Amino acid sequence: MRLFREIFAYALFAAIVGLLSVWPRYALVDAEEAIISLSFSHAGKRVGECRTLSQEELNELPPNMRKPTDCPRERHPVRVELRSGDDLLYKDLLAPSGIWADGKANVYCRIVVPAGIHEIFVGMNDGVIEDGFAFQNQASVDIRPGRNLVIHFDEQSQQFLFQ
Amino acid sequence: MIERVHSIGRGAFRLLRRPFSRAFDSEQNPLNYLGALTVFFLWIILVSGIWLLIFFRTSVSAAFDSVEYLTREQWYLGGVMRSLHRYASDAAIITILLHVIKEFVFDRYRSVRWFNWVTGIPLIWIVFPLGITGYWLVWDELAQYVAISSAELIDRIPIFTDSMAGNFLSDDVLSDRFFTLMAFLHLIGLPIFLVFGIWLHVFRLSGPRINPPRRMMAAALLCMLVLSAVFPAVSHEKANLAMTPQVLRLDWFYLHVYPLIQMWSPGWVWALLIGVSSVIVIAPWAPPAKKILPAVVDLGNCNGCRRCVDDCPFGAVEMVPRTDGLNYSHQASVSSNLCVSCGLCVGACPTATPFRSRSALIPGIDMPDRSAADIREDIIRHGARQSGSTHVLVFACDGDQQAEILRRAGVDVVTLNCMGHLQPSYIDFVLSRRYTDGVLLLGCQDGNCNYRYGALWTEQRVGRQRDPRLRKRTDTGRIALGWMSPWSEHADVVKKYEAFRDKVQRDHPVGETVEPAL
Repeated sequence: MRLFREIFAYALFAAIVGLLSVWPRYALVDAEEAIISLSFSHAGKRVGECRTLSQEELNELPPNMRKPTDCPRERHPVRVELRSGDDLLYKDLLAPSGIWADGKANVYCRIVVPAGIHEIFVGMNDGVIEDGFAFQNQASVDIRPGRNLVIHFDEQSQQFLFQ
Repeated sequence: MIERVHSIGRGAFRLLRRPFSRAFDSEQNPLNYLGALTVFFLWIILVSGIWLLIFFRTSVSAAFDSVEYLTREQWYLGGVMRSLHRYASDAAIITILLHVIKEFVFDRYRSVRWFNWVTGIPLIWIVFPLGITGYWLVWDELAQYVAISSAELIDRIPIFTDSMAGNFLSDDVLSDRFFTLMAFLHLIGLPIFLVFGIWLHVFRLSGPRINPPRRMMAAALLCMLVLSAVFPAVSHEKANLAMTPQVLRLDWFYLHVYPLIQMWSPGWVWALLIGVSSVIVIAPWAPPAKKILPAVVDLGNCNGCRRCVDDCPFGAVEMVPRTDGLNYSHQASVSSNLCVSCGLCVGACPTATPFRSRSALIPGIDMPDRSAADIREDIIRHGARQSGSTHVLVFACDGDQQAEILRRAGVDVVTLNCMGHLQPSYIDFVLSRRYTDGVLLLGCQDGNCNYRYGALWTEQRVGRQRDPRLRKRTDTGRIALGWMSPWSEHADVVKKYEAFRDKVQRDHPVGETVEPAL
């Protein structure tokens, strides 16, 4: 009798292991939903203008540090906005990275949207301009259920790409 | 407050333990070998993992296909190995969880036992990434979800300038180097830390129980094999970063936190993980402080026999060169940082005998809070109270709930720090001096002993297999080893006591001569 109880106990243990390793199922998105991923890194403009050093100033510097211009390290934050039609999906003011605030600003976000046709607008401002965007793109995109639409900023072509 | 939490936890564990006690002997009860079972599952993971490694290919394009080959084409071996690898990993989480809960609710983590508790926390932090990186390597939809969510979690650590999650936006930007990194972590980096961590976790223990009994190992392996055969582990669809997986068969043992990353945010998940870990780490020092009075050595009575050293389960006693000029080479020395005040050293000391009458009962090593002389006084007091009917004296561990039930039922109970605290000559003493007709030793089951080896040493001493042995003249028919778990079948303890008393009465009627002490 004890042996049967022992077998039952191990069988129950195995059942719990097997069950919880796959169940309950987890629905990441609904069947009629998709994802828009906005991800890029971009350095904002420097907060001040670069100044050209005079020959006297250059002479005072050690030979290995004689850069012709002196630029402030700190950069502007980057303003980003993502809309689908009139719906605002994402808006943020991204601080530059680094303890001297001189690195790139990074954005990474995943937004669940209903599948279908979306009028996508994405804009970014990396300087002092208060209104409008220095870079922007707009497109009508048919996002199929389950699709992961990636929006990123291509530094080479200096434009937003929808993939 | 903390005692209340322990008490509630013990009640819950008692409920869990009850069916286990009915199904298993104490020697085969998995609840007595949770740490050792975890190590055994790690062995299964290691062996099955080596087989998987032979066929696994660490690249974005080939990883999934190589796992599919193992699962489908080589199902009879590779598929079984894969399932074993996965299910043993899941089973290890159950045993780890129960191990942690058990040590906590039975208060085996405070005072000098903090070290084993605290060194267990990094092991948990190693085991989870080990499992998670394993899921990553399959590179199916679940791996895609795990990779992206893990990257989002890591991105929250404010030391990275570039987003790691940005590497999983499309198949074009994903690099094989990520697989190399994950494979390194899963196959070499984390396992090395795990082995070192396990060593650190147990190295302060004397004679740590690393392996469960062979029969239990065979049963656990068979259990995993049957599960693997009946319900083989399979992959999701191949990862496709252009699409988002919709419904996943999540392994809740390892990935239970992941849905919270989406529901809350990576920052809150870090706060939860760090918060819970911090609470666990500082738990041993939470008030009220647990006072431990370490064993003390009386050099005048210590002859340096080293039995206390051999029997201490925590390595708290060591032999050092003699300091008092007596004609012995060594003397016992107690480390107060390691002594848990169990009294097993006193139970092992040949000088802790209650027959001593010419001098005061001061053994070579003794417990300040429960001295050998106190125990003898208790015995004499209980013996003086006994009536003309058959009397059974109970020796029980301090705080034992079954002993409390017996005491409330009017039974004479002498408490000890642990059952191993009882030097066998006390049994001879109470029977030969006719303080009682029978002796019931009410200790914890072997695997459940609060001080690891108290019940086992007692069993061996009474069985005349371990020094100090019970004298041959002592009738073992008058002795019962009540190795009943303190957490099961409480209602039975009075019945068991009465049954034993009836047996003693039947076999040894009152008035029968007991061989006198020499």
